[in-house]
Parts: sequence; C-alpha cells; structure tokens
Amino acid sequence: MDAVLRCSGLRKAFGEIQAVADVSFDIAPGETYGLLGPNGAGKTTSISMIAGLLAPDAGEISVLGTRMTPRALSAKAAVGLVPQDLAIYPDLTGRENLHFFGRLQGMGSRQVQARTDEVLEVIGLSDRADDRAGEFSGGMKRRLNIGIGLLHHPKLLILDEPTVGVDPQSRNAILESVEALATEGLAVLYTTHYMEEAERLCRRIAIVDQGHVVAEGTRRDLIDLIAEQDVVRLKVAGDVQAAAAACAALPAVTSADAEDDEVVCLLDGAAGNLPALLGAVAAAEATVVGVAVREPDLEDVFLHLTGRALRD
Amino acid sequence: MLRAAFHILVKDTRLRVRDRSVWLFAFIVPLGLTFLFSSIFPDTDTIELTAGVVDLDGGEVAAGFVDGVVPSLVDAGVVTRASFEDEQQARAQVAEGAVDAVWVLPAGFSEAVLAGQDAQIDVLVTAGSSLPGELARGVAEAYARRIEQVGLALAVEGAVTAAAPSPQLVGAIGAAATEAEDLIRLSPRTSDVGEPLDPLSYLAAGMAAFFVFFVVPYGITGLLEERQLGTMPRLLAAPIVPGAIQLSKLLGAFLLGIISMTVLSVASHLLLGAEWGPPAGIAILIVALVLAAMAVMSLVAVFAHTAEQAGNYQAVVAIVLGLSGGVFFPIPGDAAVLRVVTSLSPHGWFLRGMNSLAASAQWSAVLPAAGAILLFGAVTAVPAVVLQRRRSTW
Repeated sequence: MDAVLRCSGLRKAFGEIQAVADVSFDIAPGETYGLLGPNGAGKTTSISMIAGLLAPDAGEISVLGTRMTPRALSAKAAVGLVPQDLAIYPDLTGRENLHFFGRLQGMGSRQVQARTDEVLEVIGLSDRADDRAGEFSGGMKRRLNIGIGLLHHPKLLILDEPTVGVDPQSRNAILESVEALATEGLAVLYTTHYMEEAERLCRRIAIVDQGHVVAEGTRRDLIDLIAEQDVVRLKVAGDVQAAAAACAALPAVTSADAEDDEVVCLLDGAAGNLPALLGAVAAAEATVVGVAVREPDLEDVFLHLTGRALRD
Repeated sequence: MLRAAFHILVKDTRLRVRDRSVWLFAFIVPLGLTFLFSSIFPDTDTIELTAGVVDLDGGEVAAGFVDGVVPSLVDAGVVTRASFEDEQQARAQVAEGAVDAVWVLPAGFSEAVLAGQDAQIDVLVTAGSSLPGELARGVAEAYARRIEQVGLALAVEGAVTAAAPSPQLVGAIGAAATEAEDLIRLSPRTSDVGEPLDPLSYLAAGMAAFFVFFVVPYGITGLLEERQLGTMPRLLAAPIVPGAIQLSKLLGAFLLGIISMTVLSVASHLLLGAEWGPPAGIAILIVALVLAAMAVMSLVAVFAHTAEQAGNYQAVVAIVLGLSGGVFFPIPGDAAVLRVVTSLSPHGWFLRGMNSLAASAQWSAVLPAAGAILLFGAVTAVPAVVLQRRRSTW
C-alpha cells in the first residue's frame, strides 16, 4: 500500500543549531507512527516541515505522493495539524473555532456546519459548543485543539505532544480518540516523550535524539535491540555515579546508568548476577536500599541507545 | 487568496467586536473628547457677555462709553446689557454671578481725561467667568487707550491755547472713542497656515486623526497576536497562500481606520456641528492618513516581540506624532519652529489639508497635504516591509 507520508533525509538548522540532522520514515494508511524523544530532540521541527510550515534545508517530504512545501496547497489540504501549544481563539466559541478553521480548509458553509456538529460529538463538546473556548477546562481546550485538526477529513493527522499538561482523565480520552482514528484508516503521526503513550498507540516508533532517528521499528523490534536482557534498578544511598561505574565494570552488565538515586543496569540474567551487582555497589561505598528487576521497555531502549533518560 | 483573507478578516472582525477597547478608541473617546474640549474651550467668535455699566462720573467722556460703546456692543450681539440702580447692586449681582462683568466709571473720570491725567475704568468680573471677564477687560482697556490718545491731544491744545477744551472737541472725543467695532475686534483664529478652519471642526478632525493611530494597530498587531495565541502554525498549515494572512491583517487595519474616521466625521458633524468640508477632499485625506498610520504602526510593530509590547511602542509613537502635529490645539501661523515640527507629523499635514479644504472648498486643495502624508507613509512602509521579511513568519 502506498505511504501517506514519506520523509527522507530531512535536515534543518537554525543558525548554528542543527535541529534535525537526518530523519527518514514513512507512514501507511491506518498506521499510527510515533516519534519518541525528549524535549529538544527535533520532533517539533520535523513536524513543522512535514506540515509545510518550514522548508527543509535538505531532504524530501511527500504527502500522498505530492511534494510538501510551504506553498504546496494540495498537500497541505491532506494534513491535519494539532500543534503542541493550544491553537484556538479563546474569544470565539468552540463552534466558531471549528467553523473558522473549516472555512480556511476550503469547506463550504453547509459542509462545515454539518462537519462541525460531527466533530463536536466526537470530541465530546456538543453541550459546550456555544461557550467561549477561553472558558473551557484545559482538557476541553485540548480536545477542541484536536477536533480542529480532524475537521476537514485529513488523510494524515499530526499530533504534536497532544497530552502535555492534561489531567489523566482527559489524557485517556485523547488516547482513546487517537486509537479510534487509526481504526478508521487515518494515518497518524504522533510525537511524545511519554514512553507509555508511544507503546500504547503506535505500531511503529522512531526514537529521535539530537535530530537523528537512532532506532526505528515496532515496539518488539526496539526492545529486541536489548533482547534477552533484564533491567535491574538499584535504589542507592551514597554516591550513585560511583555505584553506576562499579556496576558497569562487571562483565555481565551491558550498561549501567545513574538516574536520580538509582542505578539502572542492563544485563544478561539478572538472577545470577544480582549478588555481583550488590557487591559492586558496596565496593563503591554505597548502600543498596531497594532492588527491582523487570523486562526492558522503550525507556530502557532509549537509555541504552543514548545514555540519557527520555525526560532529560 | 482573497477568499482566505476574507475568512480571516471576518474572524478578526468578530474578535474585535467582542473586544470593546477598539470601539472606545475608534469612536467613543475621540467623540467624547471633542465634545469635552469644545465645551471647555468655547468658540471665541461666539462668546456672549452679560454686562452693565455703573456711571459714577456723569461727564461727557463717560457718556461716550455708556451711551456709545456699550449700546454698540449690544447691537453687535456681543453684550447683553444689565441695568443696576447703584454700584452696590451691581457688585451684588457680580458676586451672585447674575452678570458676567460690570464696568465702573469712577467719579472724576471725564475731568481727569480732559485734564490729560490718568483715568481708570474699573471692571468687576464674576468669579469663574474667565473668558467673558477677559472680554470685558479688553473692551475697557481699548477704550482707555483711545481716550488716552485723545486726552494727549487735549493736553497739547491746552498747552498751546492756555484755554479750556472746546465743547466741539470734547464731543469729538466721545464720538471717536465709541467706535465699538474697533474696540471689540477679535482676531480670527489662526491655524498653522492662517486658514479658517473653525475650532470645533479643527478639534474634531484632530481627535479623529489622533485616535486613528490607536485604532489601526488593532489590525497591524494581528500577526503578533496570532503568534501569541499559537494559532499562526495552524494558519500556515492550512491550504492557503501565506500572503493571505498578511493581507487580511492589513485589510482589517485599513477598514478599521476608514470606518473610524468616517463615523467620527459624520457623527461630529451631526452631533456637534463640526464642518469637515467637501466629502471628496475629506475622503482623500482620510485614506492617505489611514495608509500612513498603517505604515508607521507596521514599522513600530516590527521592533516588538509581543502584541502588548507593540501596543506600548505604538501608543508612544501615536502620542508624540499627534502632539507634534497639533491635534489638540491649532499651531499659530507665526510660530515658525512649530510649523516645522508639524511638518514632521502626518497629523500636522492632515490638519493643514483640512484647513486648505475649509479655506478653498475645493477638493483638490488637499492634494499637497495628502501627498505629504503618503510620502510619510512610503518612507516608513519600506523599512517596515524589509524588516518584516527578515523576521521569522511564525
């Protein structure tokens, strides 16, 4: 099946700062694709180029086979953008916000009226449609923000960190909405720095760091990068850095990183090597006050690949 | 492009309607200030004075004032005459504010004049009646100057003939001193070019010009507001030509400025009686001024990072240009330095154009002023466009 979005070799610099160094991926119809990375990884810049807000310094973007540029109106018409920051007019009602952006998308008056009612229903704002958006709760504003992106039946929906600053209930509602959209055949590009969101929503995920895609694949593909290994988290009292260095020196340990008051170790066979780990921490004149052993997740993959935590 | 610009313009208009401050600046404050200022500073051409005379002298020179000057002022419609039984009653009425002023001709007034000595007319003025009081003093001073000249002639004749002044000469004194028109002649209000735009119309035009520089920024800063609201990325992601966004903001500023000035000109004419002159000439001046305001405020906005910051900068520029353009008071024609200062402000050229229009009643009379205003706009528009292009679009 032809890709809805195809990006290859995207690069973008702002002065001396290389925001996006080499980003390539494609998204099929009905697929939710995740860009997972910490703040400043280059996710929003990538999205800005994909939505036609910025022209890339190098590389190509095509939406439904049409090259995306800031002046590619037909390509833009196929994209629905939900920016990270709220992009609504607080002095307009929910309905007026939807109506305005619908008209801007080229929808006719009757068409936009009918579609506005549909979208209000989908985002659960029908009963508040005629209230000013400025009076909405944070979660309602987020839902309106997403509704505007959906209004014109885009083929590709770009959601840039849609759950930032949202309460757990609204967050869950947003995630459920995105899951529903994918089942309707919509291609979704979802950026987040929440590992659990990427794991829940995305069939394929690109891990982005410092403008590069450092790994890409399904959740299983990514976790297999550190397959057959266990993650041991040692809660340590004392010099955490020294404890991490001592653990890293053990032959069975693939990586050991200090994270707050914990040492996160990736190693083969946690059960057999636990005494050695405890001994290494003690040798570093620190004390283990807690131990947790579990299977690795995307957070561990990111840590393994970049040496940093996603929230850094 | 036009369709998208239209939709954005409609949205902006809806937002402006809900933002009441724009209506304050566009209509209510300028009209209110025009009304207020015209009440505080009444038209001196139509000042009326309720006044009377107390003649404690009874001589021929005093009679010249009582029977000559004052009746002629009454005939000229300047004075409504009040009568008193005696000085005490006159003073009481002044104290009560029943009359604006009373001229008191003291005993021995005529004798002193005929002897070539100092003579004085006392003027009693009601407290708070400043302009009528000044007019009463002016009349007395003018009469005193005139009889002083005649008294000097009498003194000279007396020195030559060593005789008392003849009755004919004394009568001539009275007649000469009672030429009332000369006594009350008020210099016409002068503008920077000495052309006759009446004060109320000047004030109305000045206020409209002043406040249009506060109204136009509501459109100009629209781009900054979109950035601040976070809606600019969504606008740029829509399938519209990016220029449509700028076009809508400029159109909004232009229409807001035109509507504001048009409504103010019509309202000040209907409600306050201001005379703006031939519509074609007014239209040219208004369009030129609104375009200049857009250019100036666009340049100022380029240096701001937020709509609030732009608003502050623009307010300072609007006030400086307005004051230097003489929007609150006419610049005297003989004030060379001030004339130069007004030439550096589009407001000043606008008011010159208004003066020319009032003086000639020909729409073409505004063309030099309109040209100067447009030149001002062009000079500021070019750097505004260049600098705006250097900035990120969002």
